[in-house]
Amino acid sequence: MKQVNLLVTLVLSIGSFYAISQDDSTHIENCVLAEEVIIRGTIRKSNGQSVEKVNDVQLSVDKILGTTCGVSLIKRGNYAQEPTVRGLNAGQINTTIDGMQMFGACTDRMDPISSYVEPNNLNSIGLNLGPNDEQFGSSIGGGFNFKLLKPTMNAEKFISGSIGTGYETNGNAFRGLALIQLSKKKWALQANSIYRKSENYIAGNNREIHFSQFEKWNLGVSGVVQITQNNTLSIDYLQDNGSNIGYPALTMDVSFADAKIASVSHHYKNRDRFFYELETKAYINFIDHAMDDTKRPSELVPMHMDMPGTSQTIGFYSNASFRVAKKHFIKVKLNGYVNDLHAEMTMYPDFGAEMFMLTIPDARRMLVGIDASDKYYFNSKLNIVYGLRCDFSRSSIITLTGRQTLTSIYNGELTKVNFLTNGFAQANYKLAKNTKATIGVAKAARNATLQETYGFYLFNRLDNYDYLGNPEILSENSWNLNLGAEYSGSKMGLSVQLFGYFFTNYIAGTKQIDYSAMTIDASGVKHYVNLDNASIIGTEIKLSCTIQKNLLFTSVNSISYGVDDENIALPLIPPFKSINSLKYNWKKIRFAMSYTTGTKQNHVDFEKYGETSSNEFNVLDASIGRSFDFKTSTLILHLTAENIFDAAYSEHLDFMSINRQGRNFIVNLTYNFN
Amino acid sequence: MNKILMGVLMSALVFASCKKEEVTPDDPTTSSTPVPLVEVSSMTNASNQTVTLYSESSDLTTGYTNFYVTVIDSLGNSVESANVEYAPLMTMTSMSHACPIEQPTFDAALGKYKGALVFIMSSMGGDWTLDVSVDGVAVQFPLVVAESDTRVVGNYTGTDGMTYFVSVLRPTNWVVGMNDWEVLIHKRASMMSFPADNDFTIEMVPEMVSMGHGSPNNISPVSIGNGHYNGDVNFTMTGDWRMHMTLSKVGTEIHSDAYLDIVF
Repeated sequence: MKQVNLLVTLVLSIGSFYAISQDDSTHIENCVLAEEVIIRGTIRKSNGQSVEKVNDVQLSVDKILGTTCGVSLIKRGNYAQEPTVRGLNAGQINTTIDGMQMFGACTDRMDPISSYVEPNNLNSIGLNLGPNDEQFGSSIGGGFNFKLLKPTMNAEKFISGSIGTGYETNGNAFRGLALIQLSKKKWALQANSIYRKSENYIAGNNREIHFSQFEKWNLGVSGVVQITQNNTLSIDYLQDNGSNIGYPALTMDVSFADAKIASVSHHYKNRDRFFYELETKAYINFIDHAMDDTKRPSELVPMHMDMPGTSQTIGFYSNASFRVAKKHFIKVKLNGYVNDLHAEMTMYPDFGAEMFMLTIPDARRMLVGIDASDKYYFNSKLNIVYGLRCDFSRSSIITLTGRQTLTSIYNGELTKVNFLTNGFAQANYKLAKNTKATIGVAKAARNATLQETYGFYLFNRLDNYDYLGNPEILSENSWNLNLGAEYSGSKMGLSVQLFGYFFTNYIAGTKQIDYSAMTIDASGVKHYVNLDNASIIGTEIKLSCTIQKNLLFTSVNSISYGVDDENIALPLIPPFKSINSLKYNWKKIRFAMSYTTGTKQNHVDFEKYGETSSNEFNVLDASIGRSFDFKTSTLILHLTAENIFDAAYSEHLDFMSINRQGRNFIVNLTYNFN
Repeated sequence: MNKILMGVLMSALVFASCKKEEVTPDDPTTSSTPVPLVEVSSMTNASNQTVTLYSESSDLTTGYTNFYVTVIDSLGNSVESANVEYAPLMTMTSMSHACPIEQPTFDAALGKYKGALVFIMSSMGGDWTLDVSVDGVAVQFPLVVAESDTRVVGNYTGTDGMTYFVSVLRPTNWVVGMNDWEVLIHKRASMMSFPADNDFTIEMVPEMVSMGHGSPNNISPVSIGNGHYNGDVNFTMTGDWRMHMTLSKVGTEIHSDAYLDIVF
């Protein structure tokens, strides 16, 4: 196995992941409910070895997440798909960029945070599956942390970088990207940029999906300087500007979605000390978002409206790590942020006065949290990690207009103070040389989102209801249970995870019978309440086999099942999905073939949650890649055929069952130099 | 080194704590400043008193309208305990009539007599005059009243055969959210007499006309005397709101489709 350059390796705790690697991993890794999808860059394993990987940075974040185990995407268009984890979504998961809290500005959830980063910006994507020692905030189901690419000091060459371009036949989509790094002994700079544009895509059976176009550019700049041997300072700036983005499953598109993200951080590291690492970051981010219905045919727009929204978050975090003993680590994290959300709507009737309302009436949340985790290696076989997190938050409405608006639906105190505690404990036990078992228990809690607390007639296309926030909503709680077993042999790897989330005070919408809907043609009004209980259970099974030298088979399978307090099916729960791929390396040519299948989801409820069943699907993709090595550079050519049989299909979480892309040929060309 | 680290940490904390002050921007709807008054006209009566008439706008429109009066005697002293009365008259080619009146009383805080008229038609139909009498001595002010842009006063013939005038109390300061509001009901007893009617039960349903939806949590106005009915109306957005009202008296429906319009 050691000589093969494309193999299963790197087994990270309960959730394993697969990456290109040069070595075999035999030690027990961080036992956290976490996975890491490496995009570009280096991850350092705790045995000091580094694993390098360059994923295809031309892929979209959506495509990368869509093939990650446990992740399902809510699709509203060909852009900005919303990642969910094991059937948990929105406020149940916590999404951060490099640990920075950020909240989408769109009231229709058109702009999940993942839409503001590009693989070209990223080192890796961390996926947490529940409260753990990698978390950046309280949540039920963990979440994502998009780790930004950092410039490397003291690199081999002063200048290195890459440029690339890609073209997709389906949607006549073009992209161009570039990355450059300047590296000296004590400082380094890095800049990356990507431009993407796509026209409407064509679904299976040659059906054009109108309003599925998009255009965006993204720029990331970062710099790092070494102050002393153990101290570095770095700055990061990321800007992402989307424009003319179609959402075929919604009634409106987006004219622009712009994000600016800036941070400055300090990093101290001294491996020999008791207090061995401290990372502190201060950050600010701002999203400006505007929905647009002007491109839609006028007969489909009963009334023109503008729906802009903004989101601003200012915050900090500081993570300190201590080595109490050789095999005993403590992490303490302090973080805080202030998030301001504003969303409004102006409607223009053919006759009569303009109508204006605040849909998120200038809501603010301030949060300070502290968490501590303790990791202890008893021996080479057993390690445990446990921790506690406390959050103190204060939510309020900061303008008089906002407060007046909410008198429409609530006449109590709008300012809410909330205290949350999360705890987790997890044990990893090595049963045999290649086999280990994991058990994890967490008591998770999350704040209701500002939308769930203060939202004012927010339309949800899924069930066709307007939603009202509920300032008296309580935190959602759950007991999470994870059981895992993993075998990683020289020829085969198998990992089985069983998980359960057992909720109390589950947040869901219930109908407000006497309320009339604000949105034209909506079915009615719901407001958020706490259901007594709900549960989501499921399993993930991953298999990898080295069939022969250079031929690798992997299979990633997942299923979730969720019911509420009345034993009614919860919405947006992904049914069984299986992603199976064969990878073969021959000299410098890489072949890959992937077969994805999903079963139908009949466990749905229309009456309560407005969800309809979905059909099974089967999709076959294939790709071939070749790298051409020159003296100091590499040219990588990648040809992909997606959905070879042009299946007309959609997945369960696709809004309105809008079909996904039909057959698509992709050519990517990337030139790396140093 | 540790000092530097602590410094960074402390500044991060300070940075975070600095943001805790909430910014409450000025909002025009909070202003409690009294409505600025506009002088309509000033006249000297037979008692050699200067009678000055004020309104809240230089453009008078149909509907409930406050009028203010100051009376200054020949020595320049303000007369504050006189019996001041309003007597409006609309003179048309074939007939003439008055309108609902709220007779003025002296408002010490304002230093003026304050009363109100409900203009039930505009000057398009004839000429409005307002006689202001001070202890029985009158002066006549000609008034020009334009049609209000929205239906702020309506007349409805009830199942009891009587005609009722329903109007909204002004001035108004509508906001998105819950609003306190008052309507008035006057009965036409004769062409010259429009007494307040306190005996109605009102059932109110607001409608956003451009979209056809309503709003929750409204409280239908109830009588508080002098023909005034007070309630709460919930405007979930700005725009054209129509206040549908069913008017009943002791269980008998008098009119089922009265309405007033509010635009803001």
